[in-house]
Amino acid sequence: MHAQLELLLELQDLHTQKRSLSEHDDAEVESEMFDVDIEAALATLDEKLVELEERLEPQVRERYRDLVRAVQRAVVPVLSGICYGCFVAVPTAHASAAKRNQTLGFCAHCGRFLYYVD
Amino acid sequence: MQLREFFSPEAISLSLEATTKDEALKELIGALDLDDKSEGILYKMLKRRENLGSTGIGRSIAIPHCRSLVVNRLRVAFGRSTRGIDFKSIDDKPVNYVFLIVAPPLEVSNQYLPVLGRIAQFSKEADVPERLAALETPEEFLALLEEKGT
Repeated sequence: MHAQLELLLELQDLHTQKRSLSEHDDAEVESEMFDVDIEAALATLDEKLVELEERLEPQVRERYRDLVRAVQRAVVPVLSGICYGCFVAVPTAHASAAKRNQTLGFCAHCGRFLYYVD
Repeated sequence: MQLREFFSPEAISLSLEATTKDEALKELIGALDLDDKSEGILYKMLKRRENLGSTGIGRSIAIPHCRSLVVNRLRVAFGRSTRGIDFKSIDDKPVNYVFLIVAPPLEVSNQYLPVLGRIAQFSKEADVPERLAALETPEEFLALLEEKGT
């Protein structure tokens, strides 16, 4: 897997975790079932997000930030040849997901970073 | 929705070798049959979730969970440790039973929280720890889930 894609996946997963904790249902479960301090957790996640963003290459970071501002989900899976950001078919060669993930790809339609899943 | 539908015998281990929380997470992630990179990303996410607060809910049970792009559908695994694992649980007691739940960020059927809730509900039943301790095969675990109607 491309090293920057790996970092982007981590960033996107952290964003998802932060968004979940900001939503009522997830926050209630985390707070009541697992005794998580939601405010402290969100602050911790923010710190980690900043730290990981700094490890992106400048060009990738710029594109990533633009995407987060514009569409929130900057990295999306490709399942069965469909970009799960804009739900438009992504032209793919007959290669495994692992092989395609060795390069950093974007959706030609919505511009999001793509993560191929078999 | 029945919990039984989400578990496969391959993702049930009644004899975890792990002696630490980190090892237990790795061992259960290994049961999901992902590639090495995906396993690594998932492990980091689960660790980050644990750092926000332990998923050890007491009664010898832990439910590590997260959402991640590395899975394309909800995945679950169960592990039992007879010696017990320090999970920094709410009751400070070792954990013997670990339910792992991983879901993709977007789920069409939105099963993540309901599954988490069902496992928590199952875990609260008075006889569950004792019944889990007595299991001899993964099939018995699946039968127990069915019997409890969760």
